[in-house]
Amino acid sequence: MKSFFNAIGNLFRKPVTTPFPVAPTYIPDDYRGLIVFEESLCIWCRKCEMACPPGAIVFSQDIETGKQEYHYSPYVCIYCKECVRACPAPGALMQSGEPGHPGLKEQNVNNKWNKLFNEALDSRAAYAAEKKRKQAEAKAAAAKANEDNKPKD
Amino acid sequence: MATQYEIPIGAQHISLLEPLHFKFTTENEKIIKAEANVGYVHRGIEQACCSKFKFRQVSFVVGRVCGLCSISHTTCYSQVIERMMSLDIPRKAKYLRMLVIELDRIHSHLLCLSHVAENSGFEALFMKTMAYREFSMELLEAVCGNRIQYDYSIVGGVTRDLREDVARMILERLKTFKPQLDELVDIYGNNYTLGLKNKGVGVLTKEDVYHLSAVGPFARAAGVPIDVRNETEDRLPWKEVGFEVVTENSGDVWARNMVRLRELYVSMRIIENVINGLPEGDIALDFKGFPNGEAINRVEAPRGELFYYAKGNKTQILERLKIKAPTFSNVPSMVHGFKNNEYASAPAIIGSYDPCLSCTSR
Ligand code: SF4
Ligand code: SF4
Repeated sequence: MKSFFNAIGNLFRKPVTTPFPVAPTYIPDDYRGLIVFEESLCIWCRKCEMACPPGAIVFSQDIETGKQEYHYSPYVCIYCKECVRACPAPGALMQSGEPGHPGLKEQNVNNKWNKLFNEALDSRAAYAAEKKRKQAEAKAAAAKANEDNKPKD
Repeated sequence: MATQYEIPIGAQHISLLEPLHFKFTTENEKIIKAEANVGYVHRGIEQACCSKFKFRQVSFVVGRVCGLCSISHTTCYSQVIERMMSLDIPRKAKYLRMLVIELDRIHSHLLCLSHVAENSGFEALFMKTMAYREFSMELLEAVCGNRIQYDYSIVGGVTRDLREDVARMILERLKTFKPQLDELVDIYGNNYTLGLKNKGVGVLTKEDVYHLSAVGPFARAAGVPIDVRNETEDRLPWKEVGFEVVTENSGDVWARNMVRLRELYVSMRIIENVINGLPEGDIALDFKGFPNGEAINRVEAPRGELFYYAKGNKTQILERLKIKAPTFSNVPSMVHGFKNNEYASAPAIIGSYDPCLSCTSR
């Protein structure tokens, strides 16, 4: 009987749902959102890349200058904040409250990111190889110079 | 002998929450035999955890085993590594883990209850329970920053501190939830039509529980006080925050509903005690080194005992990780519980089992 009156009363009550696209839903102020990178504070230690569980951060390296570049995929990121916890330079990485956006098919997010990821790893390997080659060259040149400078007897 | 019919339910079915397949053999509306197939959502998570991810990252991977009891998986994994490496985590981290586990239990139990109501044909109660459940999702979002997949436990502690205003908000919301829960207990316990569908249906006796080794609310509804929170004290101090076992005796769908509802009172008490007695200190422990050796650990997930086994070999990558989810232990008793019931009761019985197939087949 009580539930019967309740049901009639419910006809006149306000709905308990929120009219979502019109009115905003509840979002706490420390919501886990996208990661923001601040280049000027970074010390390029790559700890964030090593800590990231899904591999959403990768650094590529220029073969000539050795300058590293930060790449981040908001679609691969799971907003876990491991990178921020791993970062030794305060302020270099921050978690914003901005929610991630869904990726569209046209953007080809997955394959593009995988390609970029592999290219970044390759660029680092190439830089390391180049550095090694240059060092070997310099060593050889130094050895040669030593040889030349030796007083002949 | 009457003609026998075989009726399949699943793997895709409107009253099933998860890809689960049952094959019933019926005789005049009575189920005389049931078979289950549970392996539809295998994702190879165990293998991924032992090959692709470093041991500190695995706690985020296992959090994705299940959407409902994510925190139980991450906590259980963190604890198994802590056991292996003999880490003693800060007391505050333990309290915060208990807080999130219990908040998670509230939302998981209410979800299960609403589905039992829906599968018994009581749509209005389904809506009502779901509406009341919303507060727990918002609290979880406020505490962990996400409605599901909390990523809250890591090896060595927890990721986020509990803010003062969030703590106050939790206590306030619990106060408003209390009368709502009383109302739900009244409806689930005393409603006549729901009782017709739920009382004496899907009975599992005490002996069955012992023979078929059921766990969780399923076993507690038959009067067997199995609860990991009652048995182990070394990793999380449950007794300190006022835990007690809830049991019922009839072992039917109604008893399972009542166990779940009454557990919510216990959960609410635990949450209040945790917040009021939250110790000072760090939330996570810094440690070095790699896991070595073997360890096991158990945690009481909303559906029952969750078991983890891990083996490390002094490297970043684990050698073996084994996950045994509560539903896996419950499959034999689930099949048994259908026997000699009306076929029309099957949806309500399935709902009351609260199966989680993503956990089971990982
Ligand atoms: S938040 Fe997590 S997933 Fe995202 S970049 Fe940082 S470590 Fe990677
Ligand atoms: S961990 Fe911090 S400092 Fe190191 S590379 Fe990443 S952002 Fe830069």
